[in-house]
Amino acid sequence: MVTRRRTAVLHYAALLLLLSFTLLPYYMLLITSLKDRGQIVRDFWIPTVPFHLFHYAEAFRQVWPYVLHSVAITAGLIACVLINGLTAGYAFARFQFAGKRLLYALVLALLMVPGFLLLIPQFMLFKQLGLLNTLSAQFLGPMAGASSMAVLLVRTFFEGIPRSLTEAAEMEGAGDLRILGRIFLPLSLPIVATVAVMNALLGWNNYVWPLVVTSDESVKPVILALSSITGPMDDVQGIQLAGYVLASLPLVVLFLASTRAFVSGITSGAVKS
Amino acid sequence: MQTTAAAKPIRSGKSLSGRALLLRRLLPYLFLIPVFVSMGLFKYYPMITALVKSLYEWNGANVNEFVGMANYRRLFTDSAFYSSLRNIVYFTAGYAAIQLTFPLLGAVLVYHVRKNRLRGFFQTAFLLPLVVPSIIIFLLWRWIYASNGVINTLLQGLGLEAWQHAWLGESATALGAVLFVNFPWVGSLSFLLFLAGMTAIPKELYEVGALEGMSPWKRFRLLELPFLKPQVRLVLLLAVIHQMQSFENVLVLTNGGPGFSTLTPALYLYKKGFEYNEFGYASAIGTVLFFVLLVFTLLMQKTSGNGRMPES
Repeated sequence: MVTRRRTAVLHYAALLLLLSFTLLPYYMLLITSLKDRGQIVRDFWIPTVPFHLFHYAEAFRQVWPYVLHSVAITAGLIACVLINGLTAGYAFARFQFAGKRLLYALVLALLMVPGFLLLIPQFMLFKQLGLLNTLSAQFLGPMAGASSMAVLLVRTFFEGIPRSLTEAAEMEGAGDLRILGRIFLPLSLPIVATVAVMNALLGWNNYVWPLVVTSDESVKPVILALSSITGPMDDVQGIQLAGYVLASLPLVVLFLASTRAFVSGITSGAVKS
Repeated sequence: MQTTAAAKPIRSGKSLSGRALLLRRLLPYLFLIPVFVSMGLFKYYPMITALVKSLYEWNGANVNEFVGMANYRRLFTDSAFYSSLRNIVYFTAGYAAIQLTFPLLGAVLVYHVRKNRLRGFFQTAFLLPLVVPSIIIFLLWRWIYASNGVINTLLQGLGLEAWQHAWLGESATALGAVLFVNFPWVGSLSFLLFLAGMTAIPKELYEVGALEGMSPWKRFRLLELPFLKPQVRLVLLLAVIHQMQSFENVLVLTNGGPGFSTLTPALYLYKKGFEYNEFGYASAIGTVLFFVLLVFTLLMQKTSGNGRMPES
């Protein structure tokens, strides 16, 4: 009994220790974002008053246009990947046709192609297409690669939908687009959420590709704008850190709101990323 | 890849006209148009370009000359490239070791929390770093490592000024500092994979273990670890792929420096391409890396049977 008690104490002590180290950087981020230079030097480890909430107002003023760009890019990415994934997933799940195995292999083979191999030729392609410094370049670049995983997930899910559910619609002569939209899609919301989360993370966090294809402030995503946050000497550090918090917030809020979709989105994205 | 080829009979239309029949046959291909247009244009075409252009001296503008294997010959005598290969071995080994210890420990500890809600809380709290954009984590750690940052302030507080370093700026510490980012590394994909693996262990085995009075360590060694073997393999595979592919960490933290001390092959490709405009040479680097990665992945999959995705 005594040893069991002791293991339990050790168990929770180890957990709490690991957790505090995990969260320490974020604690420091939050408290320091509210301090001016003097406060940082005097009391490094603890929050001190006054809280300089205007750091957040100032950071928000500087990053919000870029936040809008990131929202547009992320939405574009999710839309493209879902269209690709749902249509191709439907074709592979519902039809037999010549070349099916080969075509499916071609889709999945992209999972093995590392992003860096394509960085330069993709950049040149977008340059030739006149798409440098556009919002669309930033989601068209990663969109095709991200579709592989989506096709795999959607196909597997669609194959699990019982045939009997579609028979009535087929008897009435409903077209395949209708069957996809009216029957398959409503049943597939969990997998749609998984794909959406996976690509929300991808779109929001993408760094190298936007770095390569954008130079213009009018299309930069928020992740790229973080390094150029400025402010008066005493407050610049706080404002920068406040900017980091603001740029992380959308995903953190989404994560807390739908942990399950996030967990499956993250694990499904394992092969890529 | 399991291709569940459940043969699905094409709908038996009673009397379809020729045109309708043709449409029916073409229909699957029509559904595949979006995905193949995007993949062909944005992936396969650039991939072929990369392979072909690795044989060119090419700067993306006025120089575009076929040079045969010259880029490859140059690559195999390039000391920076060899430095980057050595570094990536260190990075990969260190990263793999990290991923196989702390996230595993975290998963075991979280799994054995009895109360459901408390377990849920720990899981969510540990995963928080996973949804913070990685660039922000790197920027944050750049500050943690700064001369007046968290670590140096801590050392000062402990009276250990002699231990202070410009962590990312000294070649002796830079590589270790890059690996140390995100300590204690529990908030990671590996943690999730291990946790998912743990839930698949039959409850009865735990009961037997409890009856026999197994200590937690014995339980881990004899019961849990054997069950987690597929996850261990997957985590190893992903560690290698991840380290070979991603270079955002070194790009943001050190830009490969000081000197070549944290340069990785992928970062070298990026720098050759976008800092020096040596597109042909960079393509050769990419091609070599691609084949290294491909051979490694195939070997891993061959030896492990099915080291693919966990069910999510």
